[in-house]
Amino acid sequence: MSVRDVLSPFSAWKNLFRDPVTIRDPLNDRPGSERYRGFHQNDIDKCIGCGTCEAICQNGAIDMVPVSDIATREGDSGLRPRIDYGRCCWCALCVDICMTGSLGMSNEYKWVESNPDAFRFTPGVDSKPWDDAKLGYERPAGHRLTSPERIEMGELPPKERIDSFVEMVEGYSVEQAKLEADRCVSCGLCIATCPTHMSIPDYIAAVRDGDYERGLKLLYETNPFSQVCGRVCTRKCETSCAARHEGDPIAIRWLKRHITDQVPFEKYRDIIGDPAPATGKTVAIVGGGPAGLTTAFDLARMGHQVTVYEASAAAGGMTRYGIPDYRLPQDALDRDIEVILSMGVEIHYNTRIGKEISMAQLEQDFDAVVLAIGLQLGRSTRIPGSDHPQVTKAIDLLYQIADGKALEAPKSVAVIGGGNVAMDIARSMARLQMQQHGKIRVTVTALEDKAHFLADPVEIKESLEEYIEILDSRGPQACVIDEQGTLVGLRTWKVLSIFDENNRFAPVYEESDEQLHEAEMVIEAIGQMSDVSILGEELVERLEWNRGRIQVDSMGRTSESWLWSAGDCVNGPDVVHAVADGHRVAASIDAMFKQKGKSA
Amino acid sequence: MTEGSGFEKLRAQTRLEDILRVATEFERTARDFYTALIPKVSKNIRYLVEELAQEEQNHFDLFSELGNRADLEIQIQQMVDTPASNSRFSDCIHLPELGEQPDDQAVLQYALGREQAAMEQYRSLAESAPAGPIKDLFNFLADEETQHKTELEKLYYEIVHHGGV
Repeated sequence: MSVRDVLSPFSAWKNLFRDPVTIRDPLNDRPGSERYRGFHQNDIDKCIGCGTCEAICQNGAIDMVPVSDIATREGDSGLRPRIDYGRCCWCALCVDICMTGSLGMSNEYKWVESNPDAFRFTPGVDSKPWDDAKLGYERPAGHRLTSPERIEMGELPPKERIDSFVEMVEGYSVEQAKLEADRCVSCGLCIATCPTHMSIPDYIAAVRDGDYERGLKLLYETNPFSQVCGRVCTRKCETSCAARHEGDPIAIRWLKRHITDQVPFEKYRDIIGDPAPATGKTVAIVGGGPAGLTTAFDLARMGHQVTVYEASAAAGGMTRYGIPDYRLPQDALDRDIEVILSMGVEIHYNTRIGKEISMAQLEQDFDAVVLAIGLQLGRSTRIPGSDHPQVTKAIDLLYQIADGKALEAPKSVAVIGGGNVAMDIARSMARLQMQQHGKIRVTVTALEDKAHFLADPVEIKESLEEYIEILDSRGPQACVIDEQGTLVGLRTWKVLSIFDENNRFAPVYEESDEQLHEAEMVIEAIGQMSDVSILGEELVERLEWNRGRIQVDSMGRTSESWLWSAGDCVNGPDVVHAVADGHRVAASIDAMFKQKGKSA
Repeated sequence: MTEGSGFEKLRAQTRLEDILRVATEFERTARDFYTALIPKVSKNIRYLVEELAQEEQNHFDLFSELGNRADLEIQIQQMVDTPASNSRFSDCIHLPELGEQPDDQAVLQYALGREQAAMEQYRSLAESAPAGPIKDLFNFLADEETQHKTELEKLYYEIVHHGGV
């Protein structure tokens, strides 16, 4: 026996002073490691019920379920993930994909329960001991399964676009569109927000697959103004996009446009399909804007004979005469209209109701009549001096520009208003000034402060790029006219507040902060209204009204059984809302025809 | 403004009875004005004129009731400072020419001007009237006019700025 053999048992004694690596009470005390993937936690207020966790789960362990006290609202389905731990494999893919970062996993993994159903619960809703556990698995910072940044849309730089009305947005290439489409998790929250409930995830999937014909078919199922909406839609859908919580929303509008760009126009008609056989029913539509023509498109596809009466020389309403070409080229609008008319819709241009033909005549000649007359008249501030000939309305000027009328641009312009129409006219006048005088002098004055501008932030950004001066919190007081009767400019006061504590309109001005914005022309872009006088006094008296607007039910039916109304004139200005209105009215008229057919 | 002329006039005292008479006339002429306007305006904006007429009728009823209350007879004889807004208020009794078929914006602008004048007048009167039911009444009316003006301003924004997006 060596000395070493004698001493070796004693060498174990040193371990007496080391921390134990085993657990003293292994049956009861078994904490998971710091980043162990244990039972789920869900921040119920942060969760938007997008269901991406459910979609990615490879074991079908997650179901989205309704939860009491959580209501469905825009951008939140009201559902929350319920997890079945009989199926969950603790892979944490659901946590990695979670679009808001609400879902995480505690490091708690042991739970003894005799009732097997208890192992299926809704984290964050069904209270559990590990709800407040600090340790566990969260998606590591910067680790994303989808890219947070949208693919940037190319557009003409300010110097190249400022003297022309050429379309400034270039559109995605196929590669760019696929990358952008790849960011979509197909949660479908956008469908509920879109007024016309377009199949957004499906057409984005079509972009991903490169199947543009399928995409186009999907677009036209719900929106015959896809070319238009692909360019100028107010894109409420993007405000409820799940991707916006930790990055940019998907560029839904640009992907829609991309589909329409990719399919040769000659193929459109075949892809969309033929209308149903003729029913013999006739419908007159007053107004060839998005609401009127969507109604016409749907009814024609149902086999009804549709005649549209349009006061202008071309159809499109405000999309043609209110939106400048650099945002919406007229040939794109023309393509949408051509598809609609190809369904057999007849259109009478330059035909004004109340002049060339009366509503009474339409009532007599058609089985149903739709009023979609839009908001074609501009409002005036009626401040002192606003009746000067050089004070004009944005709507009228935009019409002239779209109509191709020669317009002599004044060297200096002041615009009253902070909405998209104000930006449209300011940018149009800037282009004309550049073309005619080589320099720009346009000032936009808005009541609202910059944080509360009504215009799309992109419009504001682009206006500033185009050397337009935008002054916020300025209240118009007078159009100043000199002794010779020449318009000198616009006088404004600083706006301290527009609304009172109850959010009611009650502008408060700082009168000592007065400015004169020198201008050869003042343009008012504050609001619009319908010209209901075209209906004739007798019909105006017969109709029921709701605080100035024609009273309609949820399907667009007026108080007159033969008359429906849709679009801006009843629901305010917005292209995609007008399209949605058109669908509702068409469905209502078709239902009425069918009902009458049954009872006959 | 010089001490001897306008300033003295503004400082002059008026009997409450006279003020109430002008105020009653103010409400009556407004009610009659709006009532006469109802058949003239297009049906789509008639609601606006009808609501304004009803509002003025309510105020007229209040004043009429006040005139018939025996317990206020002594108070009505009391003197109060003539408010600075008095002449503008009295001017509102003379009705404007809004044309044969005024539109909603013209009606609203006129109504807002009247509400502003009435609001200032009643507030001044409330400040100078002796404590009691008359003071309370003027305070009540000033609050009413303020609230009504606020409602009209909201309506004005909704109507005139509609579509301005």
